[in-house]
Amino acid sequence: MMIGQVGSGRVSLGLVKTPHRRQKISTSISIPENSIGGEHNNSDLAALKDSSTTTQMASSSSGLTFKLHPLVIVNISDHHTRVKSQSQPPTANGGGDAATASSNSPPLSSPRVFGCVIGVQRGRTVEIFNSFELLYDPSTHSLDRSFLEKKQELYKKVFPNFYILGWYSTGADAEESDMHIHKALMDINESPVYVLLNPSINHAQKDLPVTIYESELHVIDGIPQLIFVRSSYTIETVEAERISVDHVAHLKPSDGGSAATQLAAHLTGIHSAIKMLNSRIRVLHHYLNAMQKGEIPYENSLLRQVSSLLRRLPAIESEKFRDDFLMEYNDTLLISYLAMFTDCSSTMNDLVDKINVAYDRHSRRGGRTAFI
Amino acid sequence: MDPYSFSSSAAMAQQTWELENNIVTMETPQSSESDAIFYYDESAQSKFQQEKPWSNDPHYFKRVKVSALALLKMVVHARSGGTIEVMGLMQGKTDGDAIIVMDAFALPVEGTETRVNAQADAYEYMVDYSQTNKQAGRLENVVGWYHSHPGYGCWLSGIDVSTQMLNQQFQEPFLAVVIDPTRTVSAGKVEIGAFRTYPEGYKPPDEPVSEYQTIPLNKIEDFGVHCKQYYSLDITYFKSSLDCHLLDLLWNKYWVNTLSSSPLLGNGDYVAGQISDLAEKLEQAEGQLSHSRFGPLIAPTQRKKEEESQLAKITRDSAKITVEQVHGLMSQVIKDILFNSAHQSNKSQPESSGPEPMVQS
Repeated sequence: MMIGQVGSGRVSLGLVKTPHRRQKISTSISIPENSIGGEHNNSDLAALKDSSTTTQMASSSSGLTFKLHPLVIVNISDHHTRVKSQSQPPTANGGGDAATASSNSPPLSSPRVFGCVIGVQRGRTVEIFNSFELLYDPSTHSLDRSFLEKKQELYKKVFPNFYILGWYSTGADAEESDMHIHKALMDINESPVYVLLNPSINHAQKDLPVTIYESELHVIDGIPQLIFVRSSYTIETVEAERISVDHVAHLKPSDGGSAATQLAAHLTGIHSAIKMLNSRIRVLHHYLNAMQKGEIPYENSLLRQVSSLLRRLPAIESEKFRDDFLMEYNDTLLISYLAMFTDCSSTMNDLVDKINVAYDRHSRRGGRTAFI
Repeated sequence: MDPYSFSSSAAMAQQTWELENNIVTMETPQSSESDAIFYYDESAQSKFQQEKPWSNDPHYFKRVKVSALALLKMVVHARSGGTIEVMGLMQGKTDGDAIIVMDAFALPVEGTETRVNAQADAYEYMVDYSQTNKQAGRLENVVGWYHSHPGYGCWLSGIDVSTQMLNQQFQEPFLAVVIDPTRTVSAGKVEIGAFRTYPEGYKPPDEPVSEYQTIPLNKIEDFGVHCKQYYSLDITYFKSSLDCHLLDLLWNKYWVNTLSSSPLLGNGDYVAGQISDLAEKLEQAEGQLSHSRFGPLIAPTQRKKEEESQLAKITRDSAKITVEQVHGLMSQVIKDILFNSAHQSNKSQPESSGPEPMVQS
C-alpha cells in the first residue's frame, strides 16, 4: 500500500547492507526511540540515530534538481527566532539575565517549528519559492490538517501558481517522528520534500545549515520502507530578490548616495564575487598540481569534470554575440553621450541666464546713469 | 580565502557608511539581546494603543524599522506582479516614535496604475490571514499596507493618500509603504518609501523635499497635487542573529548569482521608457524656455527659477539612468574579460577580442 502512495518516478529499490541495521530501521519508524533502546547498548543507539532514517546515502537518485530561494531560509529563520524569543520574554530591566540564561542552555530553549514550503515543479526541476507556518498537533503527532488546508486556500488566492511541495522544520538532524509527518503529507503531494534548518550558530561552519530530504522507498528485509535521503540543491534568486538580500546582508546604501558610493558598492559586489570564484579555482588548481606531483592518486572522473569545465571557456564565442555585445556597448555610450549633452545644454542655459541678468543690470544701470 | 576576508576589506567602507546613515546594527552575535526586538509584549502594545500619543502630533512617527523578512517578502511580491500594481499588509508593532515592521503578507488584489484599493473580499482575506497567523505564533497586529509602483517611483498618489488618510483615522498606528520593483532592479538597490499622511487641513511646515526622484511625465501632476499631504519616514532594517549568520553563509552559494546577473537584459523596456519620457520632458522644457526668451522681462525671477530647476531635473534624471546603464555594462565587460578572453590552446591565433570591443567595429 505504500508503493501506491509514492510517486513511481522516485521509487528506488536499494538494499541496505548490514542486516543488523535493517532490523533497526524497520522497527524504529513507528516506535519511539527509547523503547528500542532496551536491548541495544548506547553506541548502537547513536549509530541508529546517524544512519537509520536519514543519511544512508550521500544523495538521492531521483534525479530531481532542487532550487531554493533565500526567502524560504529567511522565513524559517524568522519563524524560529520569533518562537524562541516569545518563549523566553526578555525582562524589562534585566535583559542581561535573560541573555546569559539562554546562552547557557541554547538547545533546550529552541522548540522546533513547522511549516510548509510552496513552489513550482517543472519537469525534473523543483523550485521552492516561499513558505508558511504550520501548527504541530501533538495528539496525532502530525501537522494540524485543517490549519494547513486553510492556509493553503489563502495562499492559493495570492500565488495561484504555487503548489505545496513539502514541509520544513528546524533541528540538527531528521528525527524518527519526522517520517510520520512526512507520510501524512503524501496525499497532498505524492513525493513531498523536507527542508531542515539547523538553527544553532556554528561559526566554524562554512556551508548553509539547510538540508533538503526526499523520501525513497527501500526494500529492507522484504518489507518496503520509506527512508529520508539527502538531496543536493542550489540557491536560486530572481533579480529583485538578489538585490534585497544584498541589501539586508551587507547593508548597502538604501537612499541614493552619490554616484561614487553607488559605483563603489557595485564594484565591491563584483569584486567579492570574483574573489570567490578565484578562491574556488585556486582550490582546483592546487588539487591538480598535487595530482601532477603524484601526491594524490589520479581520479579520472574528477579530471574529466575539470577538463569539461575548462572546455567551456570561452563561454560564448560567436559572431552574433559579438554583434549584440557591441550593440549594447554602443547603446550605453550613446546614452552617456546624450546625458552629457543634456548636462551641457543645462549648464549653457544657466550661463545664458546669468549673462542675461548681468547684461540687463548693466544696461539698466547704464541707461539710468545716461538718463540722469 | 573565506567569505569573511572580503567582508573585512569592505568593513571600513561599511562602517563609514553606517555612521553616515545611522544604521542600527542588530548583529551582536550570540546574544539573544539583539533578538529582543522579536519579542511581542502584548500589554505594552495595548497600553501604547490606549495612550494614543500620535493623536496630538501629526508628525509623531518618524522612523520605520523593517525586518529582513518583511523586506524580502514585499520586494519579491512586488516583483512578481510585473507591471501590475500589487498590494499587501504589514504586521508589526510600535516602539516610541518608530513603527517596527516584522512581517508582511500579500493580498489578492491587483490594481492598475496608481489605483490600488482593497476590496471587500480582500478584507475578508485579511481577517482570515491574521487569524491563522496569530495561531501560528505571529502575534503582531497589522500596522500598515504596502503596494508597488512598478517603474514610476516611490510616492503616494491621490487615491493612495485618501486610502491612507482613511486608515489613519480608524486604524492607528498605520503606515504606507511603496516599493518600485522595476527601479529596484534597474538601480541595483531597493527602492522603497514609507509614508504617513497629515490629517486633513493640516498645514505642514515648509520642509525641503526629502529625496529627489524621477517621476514620469504622465504622473507628475498626480504627484505634485498631493505631495504636500504626507511625509516620508526614515527606514532602517534589522535582522536576527540567526538571520545574520545564515545570510553570511548564503554568500558561499550566492556569489554565482551576483556574477551571472545582468540588469541590462531584464530592464530594456524600462530604460527605453525612461529615455522616451526624458525626451518628452525635454520638449516641454524647450517650449517653455523659448517662450521665456522672447519675454524675458515679464516676471523674470520667479519663472526663471522654476525653469532652471526643470532643466536641472532632466539632467539629474538622465545622469541617473546613465549611471545605471554604465554599471550594467561594466559588469558585462568584466564578465566578457573573465570568461571570453580565454582561448583553447588548439586555436592558436590570439584574437584581439575582449577588453576593447570598440576597436572591432
